[in-house]
Amino acid sequence: MINNKARNTQSALQRVRDRKGSLGFMILPVVLLAGLGTGCATQTQASAMAAGAEVTSGPPPLAPLGPPPIPLDNKQSPEKIELGKLLFFDVRLGGDASTGCSTCHEPTQGWAWAEDFSRGYPGTVHWRNSQTIINSAYYPRLFWAGSSSSLENQARAAARGGVAGNGENDIMEARLALIPEYVTRFRDVFGTEWPLIRDAWRAISAYERTLVQRDTPLDKYLQGDKSALTEQQVRGKKLYEGKAGCIQCHNGAMATDFSYYNIGVPPNRRWEEDGLAQVTFRFEQYAKGQTEEGYRKAKSDWGFYYRTKNKWDRGKFRTPSLRYTMYTAPYMHNGVFYTMEEVVDFYNRGGLDEEGRTTPFPENKSKFIRPLGLTGEEKEDLIAFIEAFSGEEILVSPPELPNYAPLFTKQELMEAKK
Amino acid sequence: MGVQLSTRRGLLAVALGAVLAAPVVIAADIGPLPALKYDKAKAELGKRLFFDVRLSGDAAIACSTCHDPANGFSSPTALSKGYPGNGHFRNAPSVINAGHKKVWLHDGRIGTSLNDVTREMITEDYIMNMDMRIMQERLKQDPVYVKMFKDAGYGEPSNGKVRKAIPEYLMSLTSKNVPFDKGTMSAEAKRGMKLFTGKAGCVQCHNGPLFTDQKAHNTGVPENFDVFLNPMNHQAFLAFAMFQGIENYMNLKRDPGYYNVTTDKADMGKFITPSLRELKYTAPYMHNGMLETLDDVVAFYNNGGGEDSNKSSLLKPLGLSKSERGDLVAFLLSLSGDPLTGAEYVWQEPYPEEYEAIANWRKVRN
Repeated sequence: MINNKARNTQSALQRVRDRKGSLGFMILPVVLLAGLGTGCATQTQASAMAAGAEVTSGPPPLAPLGPPPIPLDNKQSPEKIELGKLLFFDVRLGGDASTGCSTCHEPTQGWAWAEDFSRGYPGTVHWRNSQTIINSAYYPRLFWAGSSSSLENQARAAARGGVAGNGENDIMEARLALIPEYVTRFRDVFGTEWPLIRDAWRAISAYERTLVQRDTPLDKYLQGDKSALTEQQVRGKKLYEGKAGCIQCHNGAMATDFSYYNIGVPPNRRWEEDGLAQVTFRFEQYAKGQTEEGYRKAKSDWGFYYRTKNKWDRGKFRTPSLRYTMYTAPYMHNGVFYTMEEVVDFYNRGGLDEEGRTTPFPENKSKFIRPLGLTGEEKEDLIAFIEAFSGEEILVSPPELPNYAPLFTKQELMEAKK
Repeated sequence: MGVQLSTRRGLLAVALGAVLAAPVVIAADIGPLPALKYDKAKAELGKRLFFDVRLSGDAAIACSTCHDPANGFSSPTALSKGYPGNGHFRNAPSVINAGHKKVWLHDGRIGTSLNDVTREMITEDYIMNMDMRIMQERLKQDPVYVKMFKDAGYGEPSNGKVRKAIPEYLMSLTSKNVPFDKGTMSAEAKRGMKLFTGKAGCVQCHNGPLFTDQKAHNTGVPENFDVFLNPMNHQAFLAFAMFQGIENYMNLKRDPGYYNVTTDKADMGKFITPSLRELKYTAPYMHNGMLETLDDVVAFYNNGGGEDSNKSSLLKPLGLSKSERGDLVAFLLSLSGDPLTGAEYVWQEPYPEEYEAIANWRKVRN
């Protein structure tokens, strides 16, 4: 495991050298010094963390989840959270007033959507799996390829995306202004005369920062309650941290290093059979700024590539947290695996599905991914342990939403100067 | 005007300014309307697009939803339906003869081409709310379109070609067999025409072959309070006003009309003179559908129009008798031709219920 990591680190640094010439040589000693001086736990840069790991003791250990980070420019308040909850469930924050946050992040479906692709805006289907809102507060970047830098930006991007909310700022802001209870609540929370759409994203984010789970069996175990895990789960933990190598990427308190990898997930077959999915597939190539040639030849989701435009990033996606996964099937960025058993089998084969399919970019596949040789019993132990990342299901009743009301009376309209 | 608005509207405002600065058309200009040349294959494609709900964001409405052929390609309700989830704040005008116009939309905010009108209608959030990149991919998924675009010489389906094909179809929607054009007006209508060009003074603005000077005037049409009392309509109005950059939009209690184009307070409440062709089919009337019948319209002008501080000085009580008003309505009706409701004008074939998957997808280029 350590050797693999070291190789990966060196190849990453090699790339830096290749691209930046001598600069890479200047970076290397700095990274190593940082690793020696502080240990690896505080490093967030993938290469820096890996370099630190090489010198010290391996990836950051699993840890109990602390309180979520709160951005200084969007502090929490009970009133803001309450407003955010209303807005999260309000379908009027979408193009045709049918599609809000909760439409694709449905609490009874793990605050996600229980199909391979998210359901999408009416008349469309999405092309990636909807991710759970639970613990989303801890991600430094959102979406499968990390295209949003905050929950606030994620909410905005999802509400506006053509195959998600398809809402325009103007009409959404106009709707808020015609709901008197929102006008009052926005004024109380944000101090504006009329609701601003960007404050809607701030309120929704504040609500989402309350949707965290910090009392899973694993949290309790790591805090000293040794009875919180079964013996089977303890065996699974050992595999997770050892033979199965999960911890190489699924580490730290969120069980993710927040980095991007190609692990060999094959393209979703739906693109071969479903016309509506083919429409969205091409739209995404178009919308994400593919080259003409890329648009013509792409037959899979190129993931992190759309952000970096580096060919070695094709097929990479951000390591997802393993928390709350008991409720969030199907799995992977494109939902190709409907059970955790399929996921573990996939890794056990070294990143191949049961038909031997893998990523169209095998040259980018992470060196961490290799056949694991897990026995049937070991796979069961591992799955039992992964269940310890989930606590009770978090369910809330959708709130009663405030109604529209006319802004003016007939009398006021009659008296208006013409 | 062009300078002031150049950052938002660019060439559009400049072009519009040029149109409005053109010399005044005189009364004698009324006359028959020539047919427009158009390409048959392109127009046929445009027709299929015009009636296709897949050109709206949630695939629920088509151009024809508000421009209803059964109502002379205009909205049968005073205020158009708008996109699902909101209403609208104006009455969709007939698109018959739109190819003859030089300025479009009630407030005259587009003075370039039907290409731009098409783009605005498809993409505006309160109208069809379509991300045209998705639209393009929807069209490429329909083998009928793939063939029609190719046959029309457009290559593969694209946003740009949609914006050409729909205007091409609109060129085919021109008045047909109009009594006025053919010289087959009734005696009543002929008397009405005299009033139209004389005592009633209609021709001061309603002139040229389209019976419009294509300029903005304030006639004092009463506000349609449903715009503001129904939050569904009001939200469309607010979204429009925000996007157009009209100041103080939250307090507006009236439709600013042409003011939107010039930001000159003297233009508040002005609207572009509508064509009088095809009125037989296009009730209700005025930019906000406030007048239900042609009798109401003639009565409105006979009273000197409505009340407005910006009202045109051309309007004054006309003193038309009941029979004169009847003659005038008869003349107005003689400006309408055959209804354009047959297969030549209306797409009648069913559309596929779902998107057919492209076969051998992994092997073929997108």
